[in-house]
Amino acid sequence: MNTSTASPKAASISLAQISQWFLKDARHFQILALSLFLTYGILSLGWNTQLSRIATIFATCLLTQAFWIKWSGAPWHSLKSAMISSLGLCLLLKTNLLSTAIIAGILTISSKFIIQYDRKHIFNPVNFGIIATIMLTGDAWVSPGQWGSSFTTLFFVGAAGLMVLLKCGRIDISLAFIVSFFGLEFVRSVLWLGWPIDHFGHMVTNGALLLFTFFMITDPMTTPNHAKARIAWAVIVGIITFGLNHIFILNSGAPIWALFIISPLTLVFDRFFNAQKFAWL
Amino acid sequence: MKSIRMKIMLLGLLTLISVDQVSAFCGFYVAKGDLKLFNKTSQVIIVRDGEHTVITMSSDYQGDAKDFAMVVPVPEVLKESDIRVVQQYIFDKFDAFTTPRLVEYWDENPCNERVYSEMSAAPATGMAKRSMAFDIREEDKDDGVTIEAKYTVGEYDILILSATESSGLKHWLTANDYKIPSGAEEVLQPYITDGMKFFVVKVNLEKQKSLGVQTLRPLQIQFNSSRFMLPIRLGMANSDGGAQDMIVYAFTRKGRVETANYRTTKLPTDREIPEFVMSEGLFANFYRDMYGKAWANEGKNNVMLEYAWDESSQQSMHCDPCPTPPLTFAEVREAGVWWVEPDQYNGSYFGDLFITRLHVRYDRAHFPQDLMFLNTPDQSNFQGRYVVRHAATGSFDCAEGKRYKADLRMRHQKELQELAALTGWEVSKWSSYIGAASMPDPIIPEIPSLSDTGLPHLSSCPTCPIGSTMPMPRINKAGFLILPKTNAVDGDTMTDESTVAITPTGLINEKESLAVSEAFLQAGLAEAPKPLMSKRMWLLSIAGLMFIGGIIVRVAGRKPTAKSAANSQV
Repeated sequence: MNTSTASPKAASISLAQISQWFLKDARHFQILALSLFLTYGILSLGWNTQLSRIATIFATCLLTQAFWIKWSGAPWHSLKSAMISSLGLCLLLKTNLLSTAIIAGILTISSKFIIQYDRKHIFNPVNFGIIATIMLTGDAWVSPGQWGSSFTTLFFVGAAGLMVLLKCGRIDISLAFIVSFFGLEFVRSVLWLGWPIDHFGHMVTNGALLLFTFFMITDPMTTPNHAKARIAWAVIVGIITFGLNHIFILNSGAPIWALFIISPLTLVFDRFFNAQKFAWL
Repeated sequence: MKSIRMKIMLLGLLTLISVDQVSAFCGFYVAKGDLKLFNKTSQVIIVRDGEHTVITMSSDYQGDAKDFAMVVPVPEVLKESDIRVVQQYIFDKFDAFTTPRLVEYWDENPCNERVYSEMSAAPATGMAKRSMAFDIREEDKDDGVTIEAKYTVGEYDILILSATESSGLKHWLTANDYKIPSGAEEVLQPYITDGMKFFVVKVNLEKQKSLGVQTLRPLQIQFNSSRFMLPIRLGMANSDGGAQDMIVYAFTRKGRVETANYRTTKLPTDREIPEFVMSEGLFANFYRDMYGKAWANEGKNNVMLEYAWDESSQQSMHCDPCPTPPLTFAEVREAGVWWVEPDQYNGSYFGDLFITRLHVRYDRAHFPQDLMFLNTPDQSNFQGRYVVRHAATGSFDCAEGKRYKADLRMRHQKELQELAALTGWEVSKWSSYIGAASMPDPIIPEIPSLSDTGLPHLSSCPTCPIGSTMPMPRINKAGFLILPKTNAVDGDTMTDESTVAITPTGLINEKESLAVSEAFLQAGLAEAPKPLMSKRMWLLSIAGLMFIGGIIVRVAGRKPTAKSAANSQV
């Protein structure tokens, strides 16, 4: 998939070496899973996604990343992160204009290098890219309904997400978010309002929400380093998402806004809970 | 060599579904007595900008009027001035304007240049008409349910109810001789707990007689709500186990409307289909079956986009091809669009306007939640468009002619496959079509006069050359409305005659009608909240404050100790 970033081994590469290389980095799983979701969305769900938009986002993200690698001396394997960001944008951000796609790519990647404190970027790049593009251009949007809701989605996104999370050790975030947000939703819709259980089931199987739960909120680079802090942080994201859904009445992108608002809190958590900063390799 | 003349064929949805149907709003009907009611198709117009919402509901209810009753959850106690009846013709117009359309092309005989004559023009189409006898029954007093308000609007008696328990509301309805559809109670409670009120409607037959109205006219309500949604769950109560259809016409200032909690998929479009679909009058069935197949293929839990078009006044193309003249100021004002300004010269309007037509086929199993909508910034146009290409006639003796005939066979075969794929029809009975070199031209029948139709007078045509008369539609043998295509010219050409709406209730003076719409909408807008900032700006501000706060906490606090993590990577 991404042979350019393969470890520079000898010319004769065995299957075992390839799998060893693949298993070494959780980002490989992420790239594979997100690519499959994108393929599924285009081929099976019939998303109106032009290939030119996907190509533009990838090109912009990778070129921007390359520029910043040169500028800041970051390692070249971080291009994998840029690929993940590209896939994230393709999956979540909708726009009809290539210029908007370019802006989204530049904002997403550059935010990692510009908005950072103590050499740790503050916002999840895709999250920042989506919010900034929506606010600045006004012609991009998030389409939470595009995935539909089915238990198949829950199974596949969940399973793929778990694989990645177990690899990079951020499963606690997903679980804490599920307990808080899904728990609050359950209490509200089933226990309080008295909707039948499938009303709740429809919400928790929404593909966009699951993608957020297993792939966006869990980004190890922008979440608190300490395990306890992460759990508290994820619970807060859940509560804010719930609040945005039902008090602020946001029909679209409530979790994305919640994560955006809460991201600076990571600084505070890292201030009080000291722990080793995450590194991909 | 290809097409030189194009005509538009259109089938109004009402015509399509005019047989064997009963109706639905987004609420449910409760029938008195044992009359078995089931919902089939309803049409709803939603006009929304900011938090102000105008919803118009059109019923195709065909039972006895005395048995008509409707319950719709609403977010607040509506005032009398927030409820009115509107003219049915706007639904007919919006349906005709946005419905999937068939486009005709004629091949040219490669051996012999064909001379085309202009198609004759005449007004026309027949819309579904209804007539019902009305009766009225007295209401009983409430029982544990608060009647927040009680109005008579047009031919309707309206109550706004609030309740604390679904059993109380159910009891009240039963005590008042309404039959509660099975399954309704399970969804009443969530609305009650959520603080929703219930908009309960019956027909006041005396009033209806005195007004001289023959049909159940659409009801329009307006309110302010931060929720952009349609409550469909109550409507499923009497769906009789089957799916029911709803057409939503959404008007916004800018951008398409899509559903936030269901997939919005597109109707298959721009497909070439066989000529006989037109000549045998099968387009109605084609649309119905194509929709059914596409809906089933998508998993039966999707919402279908059937039309999306930027109708802003600055746009030169308000439709392409146009099955009807573009929307007029009177029509969109009647629908509740309050922000456009009239264009005094041609009956059009100034301002931003975007129309989205969504087709929902829903049932209890696949639609557990109400429809939540999202106004996207997507300004791109979409329409359901199907192409019929008529083969050339004459002899094909030349070399090019022989090639044309061979190509034609291939094309017909492809069209048949396309037809089978789109509709699931068994196409083998049309296998002779593959060899058919040409089909006879459609026969032009007698045309009904304008006074026989329910359509508003056609008074504007944006694509007509200046000074020309507007091409009028005709009905062909198959019963389709056909408009000859005109050469598109930028800039509008309009006649200056005044628009007179011909409605089931007779001639309506446009000025009076507009004045009523104006007063209604202004009264509703007067109470619309004017937010200091948009939701997004609020969120951005909060995030900004959090950001600054986070930095301050870090800078003010002790130096981070995890220096070992200095090899940070991005």
